[in-house]
Amino acid sequence: MKQDYFSANNIKYIDYKDIEILKKFMNPNGKIMSHKRTGVTAKNQRQLTRAIKHARFLGLLPFVVK
Amino acid sequence: MQDVGDGAKNNNLLGIDEQGPKVYELGYLLVPTISDENLPVVYGNLKELVLSFGGEIVSDEIPKMIPLAYFMQKVTSNVRNKFNKAYFGWTKFTMNSLKILELKKHLDLDANFIRFLILKTVKENTIAVKRFMRGESYKRPILKRSTENENIMPINKEEIDKEIDALVSI
Repeated sequence: MKQDYFSANNIKYIDYKDIEILKKFMNPNGKIMSHKRTGVTAKNQRQLTRAIKHARFLGLLPFVVK
Repeated sequence: MQDVGDGAKNNNLLGIDEQGPKVYELGYLLVPTISDENLPVVYGNLKELVLSFGGEIVSDEIPKMIPLAYFMQKVTSNVRNKFNKAYFGWTKFTMNSLKILELKKHLDLDANFIRFLILKTVKENTIAVKRFMRGESYKRPILKRSTENENIMPINKEEIDKEIDALVSI
């Protein structure tokens, strides 16, 4: 079973400004990957989703990649 | 007395807590039409605004020009402006939860902002990328040095002296 990326790297707070990390959890179309693919814990998946949505709002990440 | 109690209840229902200051982060996008000379002025004004509401700045970053992931538009005085780049900056500060709403109202009226986002956060540095880059780069040279030192140890001084003498004689 895949280990949680955030607990493995000792990340306690997922920041919306860390776009390089957030991009790892998005598919080529810009959609957020499911927790089944990411292998992230439910708590971190919620934080991750929130961070990506905040980054999208501020134009750091795209909503859709065509 | 009853009024105060009701007020507190209403505040709790609205998610407002009348306890001490909390840590917030303000992320914002400034219009790219601001000149490089005026940018520090706008940035300074924002800091002063936060301080005027009783805030205490924990950390911040000077706004930098970034390309936006998609076009954003803002209507100012009945003119629709489209932007594909903007100055992005953020400020982390502590402030009373009641004052933060006043700050938001103030920022809503500011024409220099395309968008902004106020979030609850923690005092510690939350950006992780730089930390990892340093950690990995620091570990590798230390390992190499230790192996080099082990190789150097068994070399005999007399042998080195002989080699040097031989080189000098040539």
